[in-house]
Amino acid sequence: MGYTFTLRTIYPYLGELGHAAWLTLSLSLLSIGLSLIVGAGVAVLRRSRSRLLRALGTAYVEVMRNTPLLVILYIIYFAGPGLGLRLSSFAAAVIGLSLNSAGYMAEILRAGLIAISAGQFEAADAQGFSRLQTFRYIIFPQVFRTIYAPLGNQIIAVILASSLASAVAVDEVTAWMQTTGSTSFRFFETFVVAAIVYLVLCQLVNLGRLALGRLLFRQGESLR
Amino acid sequence: MNPDWLSYGPLMLRAAGLTLWLSWLAMLIGALGGTGIAFLRTSRFRGLRLLALLYTEFFRSVPILIVMFFCYFGVPLVFGFDVSSFAAATIALALHASSTMSEVVRAGIESVGRGQWEAAQAAGMDRVQVMRYIIGPQAIRVVLPPSVGVFITTLKESSLASIIGFIELTKTGLLVRESTDGGLVPLLALAALYFIINYAISLVGGRLERRFHIGSRSDLVGAMG
Amino acid sequence: MSPVLTLDGVVKRFGARTILDGISMDVSPGEIVCFVGPSGTGKSTLLRCVNGLEALQGGRIIFEGRNVHESARSIADVRKRVGMIFQHFNLYPHLTALENVMLAPVIVHKEAKPAVEERARALFDKVRLSHRINAYPAQLSGGEQQRVAIARALAANPHLLMFDEPTSALDPETVGDVLAVMRDLAEEGRTMLVVTHEIRFAVDVGTRMVFMDQGKIVEDSDPKEMLANARTDRARQFLSSIRG
Repeated sequence: MGYTFTLRTIYPYLGELGHAAWLTLSLSLLSIGLSLIVGAGVAVLRRSRSRLLRALGTAYVEVMRNTPLLVILYIIYFAGPGLGLRLSSFAAAVIGLSLNSAGYMAEILRAGLIAISAGQFEAADAQGFSRLQTFRYIIFPQVFRTIYAPLGNQIIAVILASSLASAVAVDEVTAWMQTTGSTSFRFFETFVVAAIVYLVLCQLVNLGRLALGRLLFRQGESLR
Repeated sequence: MNPDWLSYGPLMLRAAGLTLWLSWLAMLIGALGGTGIAFLRTSRFRGLRLLALLYTEFFRSVPILIVMFFCYFGVPLVFGFDVSSFAAATIALALHASSTMSEVVRAGIESVGRGQWEAAQAAGMDRVQVMRYIIGPQAIRVVLPPSVGVFITTLKESSLASIIGFIELTKTGLLVRESTDGGLVPLLALAALYFIINYAISLVGGRLERRFHIGSRSDLVGAMG
Repeated sequence: MSPVLTLDGVVKRFGARTILDGISMDVSPGEIVCFVGPSGTGKSTLLRCVNGLEALQGGRIIFEGRNVHESARSIADVRKRVGMIFQHFNLYPHLTALENVMLAPVIVHKEAKPAVEERARALFDKVRLSHRINAYPAQLSGGEQQRVAIARALAANPHLLMFDEPTSALDPETVGDVLAVMRDLAEEGRTMLVVTHEIRFAVDVGTRMVFMDQGKIVEDSDPKEMLANARTDRARQFLSSIRG
């Protein structure tokens, strides 16, 4: 078999891993934030009174759910120069990741909104709450409880999807695994290390979600 | 210069067929493997249950791309034998599909009420017979609709095979793009093809859902791919 | 005494269907007006027009001298002085009973929290639910939820209370608890509009019974009078069918 697993062989490359992990993290966080905003917009579209706007929202979600993220990334990466923009790899990756994730966010938000009964809006109206007040004190807290768990899962999905940024020249963790693996020929070690990085990130999100949930939701509901 | 786009049509369609073949194979292996893992998850032995749990948690917390890289580059290095890009892609896709499918199958089995087990066992059937004649058929109705979602996810993930050099639909699109001096048309055609295929499949899945009157567990199959 | 509420030729349509077909009536302070009649004849819609939950297609509604539907501002003002209790309670599920009652006075009326809390606790005493102020709606029975809803409406110091079938969604055992609270409010001299099927309540507590059918007021008189001696056939038919 002639191959012995020796972690020591990749120690020299761990410095670059730090930088790569930071890229993975920032890529993910930016995309999560942006996709929430865009997704909220799409969710609002889908509840619009206009048939055209509703169809637009649905079309957006369907396109993002059925087209591979890789293809979307390539389109944005290669389309940039064509449109006269000079997009960095990182920017292209963030845009692609955000637009794709926004489709899923829209669905999560939509499910949260649907769960609110019409009577809630009526009672709030009857009591004289303004639209903004109704949203802030009555609707948002309820929606947040409903979407909390799926949101956590979507955050993890974005972290894992960030690995595709390696295909458009972003030096994040997956790219590190590739580069370090091919220069050192220690693919097993780089795989294990990369896997550990992603595992840690995902489990942190999971545990964070559970802990925060216990803090926020006093009723102690199970949020799995 | 306006290249004759339509001449690339047959090439793209053949590549689409290859993508479907790759996805289908991975899905099949994944479904079988996933069913096995589901049984382990519900086994009487704590060790087996733990093993299955670790397996599922691992593949849900790791991007499929690094698994694919390891299968293609790592395995030959570590174990000495060559792995084709097709094989590496299939294995990686199957491993991921199996972990999702194990949850789907487990939910399907659990959805069949305890009363069914008891009635069948009271009639004298052993565990295997109960699964085969009573639980299985009922569980399948619950398992089928979300499986369609897993298949669509696998199909989207198959595009990653292009990165390790397997010439499926995405790679073909990229090659067409290169030989026509860059441009967006091949990429947009790629997107359109994937969309049409996946959307059509999701419609079939929708019909299955309605036929079996079961809602799909969309929280299980929302992988972004 | 000038009327608290005046409806003047109120017309309400949903698409092609006319739900309210020219309703005109006055309500004086302290009156307990009970609206009865077959389902779907616009009784609930009438209440919802008073506080602007529904728009009018014709006529006007004057509340304490102000045209309700004049502007968004007038609707907002009216809502601060009119309390509404719904058939399905509509409590806010993510807040405790106490928080449900305190929310509007603090956020909408911008009152100071300590004063509101004091008033809220007194209201819980009144509806006999002081032991449940920290419970969430999901932990309360239907009758308890409705009493919290009444406290919530009272917390805003309303000049008019509107009840939209307050006991229709309740188990028979708890109906009595809610009606008892409503009876107490009536005895305080509050002005109340009640859409209900509880004819006995209308007769015992109501000062006025309005029978509606097909979007029109068919008969409007003293409840005991109407029950014993309805002037119109339709009212007589309806009332006897309920008793039977």
